[in-house]
Amino acid sequence: MSVEPHDSNDEFIERIARPLRAPERFGDDFEDALVAAIREDPTTERQQRAVRRFALAWWSVPSIRLSPLAALAIAASLMAVASLVSVRQATSRDRPVPVATVAAVRDTVTLVRFVFVGQADSVALVGDFNAWGATPTHLRSGRNGAWTASVPLSKGRHEYAFIVNGKRWMPDPFAPTNPDEFEANSSVITIGD
Amino acid sequence: MTLDANPAVIHSAMERSDEQLVRAGAAGDVDAFAELSRRYRDRYVRFAVRMVGNRDDAEDVLQSAFIRAYRSLDKCRNPAHFGGWLYQIVANECRSYVTRRARRERRLVHDEQRLQNVSVDGHHAADEAREDVQYALAQLGAVYREAFVMKHVEQLSYDEMAEITGDGVSALKMRVKRAVARLRELLEEVHDVG
Repeated sequence: MSVEPHDSNDEFIERIARPLRAPERFGDDFEDALVAAIREDPTTERQQRAVRRFALAWWSVPSIRLSPLAALAIAASLMAVASLVSVRQATSRDRPVPVATVAAVRDTVTLVRFVFVGQADSVALVGDFNAWGATPTHLRSGRNGAWTASVPLSKGRHEYAFIVNGKRWMPDPFAPTNPDEFEANSSVITIGD
Repeated sequence: MTLDANPAVIHSAMERSDEQLVRAGAAGDVDAFAELSRRYRDRYVRFAVRMVGNRDDAEDVLQSAFIRAYRSLDKCRNPAHFGGWLYQIVANECRSYVTRRARRERRLVHDEQRLQNVSVDGHHAADEAREDVQYALAQLGAVYREAFVMKHVEQLSYDEMAEITGDGVSALKMRVKRAVARLRELLEEVHDVG
């Protein structure tokens, strides 16, 4: 490599960049290795199953079977939540404001109230706690454009996002996002210590 | 027209669009994703090799990036622009790999010795010249290397770079400028030694 100190900037750049522009190619076995790696990856298999379940279950109304005692306990929890949580008001009807609020703590489970404020025909909550939509949590529409759902979460770190109108993936702008830099981030909530 | 007259047209007519392949891949069709990989892989091989410094590591990084892309296909908001979305993931994976490796390994002594051993008589084969610059490039931090490679090797516009990296145009211009200045220092040092 010959680099002359008196090169102009453009000449210098061209001189060093030109050899780097030589094409590079991998063999055709790249896809064979890729497909094998994907098929051996339990994460992708589990995730694809969840996506397929989510797609099938998305428009069906979830049926929940509870014992009378459990139903009473949950109803009591939700009433307590309603008195503890203040729903943030949307500053603009065009600007959705999702909020996750820790509402009530039980021994090992914390009831978290998720609030989405904005114009929507439907809002659902997906996260690691419901296998990313295997059993999607549908938020209920209330006054002032607020959609809410209360979900019991175990101690630890959880990731979640809202699905608006059945297709728009929306993280919570008031919560930290997960570290990866994909186009569609998920939000993170940590329960407990 | 006979069937053999223009097989490319027939092949093209049978091809599924990126959007169709992305949707099929998101539903679990690995072969559809492999087709996307064949379609886009060559565009990113050179970038990956220049970023990580050698073909073996680049192949590992690219495979890792493609697996991450497969896992996230359901989050690809605009399947018709799958290529740009994939570029973001590849760039991110390369940058992460370079940063991790820099933390893990301290190869300054090795690389300095390598630079001092580079002959500068101007009569090298093209691959040797490329290797010299590649080693100088390896002295740059990940973000400076990425900016230089995107701008002057892949010849992207600053707007395209901003879209891929998520960084501002001004910051990218500054990185490219600093990368060029540092490369000049490094390669002129080699020239002096020679």
